[in-house]
Amino acid sequence: MKREHPLKLALALAAGLLFLSPALYSIVLSFQTADSYYRGGFDFTLGNYRNAVGFYHFARYLLNSVIVSSLVTLLSIGFSTMAAFAFARFRFRGGDFLFGAVVATLMIPSHISLIPNYLTLAKAGLLDSYAGLVLPAISNGFAAFFLRQYIRGIPKALDEAAYMDGATPLKVLWRVIVPLARPAILSMALYVFITEWNNYIWPLVAIGKEDLYTLQIGLARLYHNNPGEGLIDWPLVMAASTLTLLPVLAGFLLVERHLVRGITMGAVK
Amino acid sequence: MLRKLTPYLFVAPLVAFIAVFTYVPILTSLNLSVRNWNFLTPDMPFVGLENYRLLISSRDFWNALWVTTLFTVFSVPIRLFLALIVASYLARETFVSRLLRGALFLPFVTSTVSIAVVFSWVFATDYGLINPVLGWFGIGKVAWLQDPALALWVLIFVNTWKQIGYDVVIYIAGLQAIPQELYDAAAIDGGKRLHVFRRITFPLVMPTTYFLLVVSVIEAFQVFTIVNVMTHGGPAGATDLLVHMLYRIGFVLFDIGQGSALAVMLFVLLVTLALLKSRLIGRKVHYEA
Repeated sequence: MKREHPLKLALALAAGLLFLSPALYSIVLSFQTADSYYRGGFDFTLGNYRNAVGFYHFARYLLNSVIVSSLVTLLSIGFSTMAAFAFARFRFRGGDFLFGAVVATLMIPSHISLIPNYLTLAKAGLLDSYAGLVLPAISNGFAAFFLRQYIRGIPKALDEAAYMDGATPLKVLWRVIVPLARPAILSMALYVFITEWNNYIWPLVAIGKEDLYTLQIGLARLYHNNPGEGLIDWPLVMAASTLTLLPVLAGFLLVERHLVRGITMGAVK
Repeated sequence: MLRKLTPYLFVAPLVAFIAVFTYVPILTSLNLSVRNWNFLTPDMPFVGLENYRLLISSRDFWNALWVTTLFTVFSVPIRLFLALIVASYLARETFVSRLLRGALFLPFVTSTVSIAVVFSWVFATDYGLINPVLGWFGIGKVAWLQDPALALWVLIFVNTWKQIGYDVVIYIAGLQAIPQELYDAAAIDGGKRLHVFRRITFPLVMPTTYFLLVVSVIEAFQVFTIVNVMTHGGPAGATDLLVHMLYRIGFVLFDIGQGSALAVMLFVLLVTLALLKSRLIGRKVHYEA
């Protein structure tokens, strides 16, 4: 990497900060008392977080978000990897058709299934449950499509060597393909996790019980129900908002390169 | 026998989920769109195309279509224009450009509800962020989200802020695929910067532009979260985008028939766009060196 002129570096830094300033300032805001905010001063407090986590149940929402996003990621990536392996390595009757049907889901806008999925889950008695949040989110073909392309790039001789040693297809998948496709699987897992973490419209229609709110629903409700007296309690709302965006941001900063690569590869084939 | 079954067993779970939650719902929606039903009544009588007729003759539908079109027509070109300019500055692999790319990309992976809440505060009439700053310059309070003439523009701004990092990252990938020799040749010929951009960068990055154009139009037609959190479609329907209208009809008014008819129309529109995308890109993408 080239050395930058310090002035250029400072300018770039300032531009980045300016771009992110609304979000950054909202985090600062979350650490001050409502009184001091409306007065125009700054009194530091952790009370907004205590309030959001305790009184407004954001600890529970956080737990729900973690459970739902993890389950969706685990199942979705598990099923997608299995399917991608079969589509990449086996020629079977109807295989091309099924693969086409999986890829076509990328073109199908999700709103078309909103009402039908609501009815399906209502009939199954699964509204207001983790299952109701998780199951519809698994029907996405993007990861399978992406992983199939990746697996096709792994030399087939490796599979064949394993079959010679008497391995079953399941064992080949687990011992040969998965370790070699790890970067791709990790990218997709992140992508699925973040997408599900930020999912809003589905939990909005599928969940009525407060116990099952995800962070997104909890935050929107907190804001709409306006906990302040007349004035909105912005510092409290921003504490809740920070709790909602921080876990994913932390994850993103840790593995930015994987994620960006996954998303870029999905777009520019 | 088992060997023959193997691939089917591997694809079965994913295919089953996709069938139940993506393909069957398309048929269900078609069926519900020709029925009159509100969740409660035991039967759902067949009413033909009545729901479609009602929608097309309602002011709400044309308003939603108009507002969504405005949103799309203004937000997409602005986004792509800005993104291309920014991307051409950040395409080089330097520390600064990596840092800025990261900053631009952050909102794209951030919770949309958080962003919507933060910008509700930024644009709040009282005790927000923008109005006090305007106050320093002697400009009076603006009711950003309560003024029908302004609310949609605020949403366009917020959506641009959230999405532009994605556009930039995709553009950078496109720009980096342009062979360096072309730029070297232009440099030898003494090409001016703007000239090089117009004659080399812009045409060669066209496939990426097509891709982003269609993806962003499809995205813009499905914007829901910021509307639901920031404006609820108001004031006076000024931000009642199509998917928000669908949510309103289906889950606030519980008119399943009309909601499904709207879903089907939007579906046809978006799938047509998506098919257009594969044709456009299929034809224009082969610039590889």
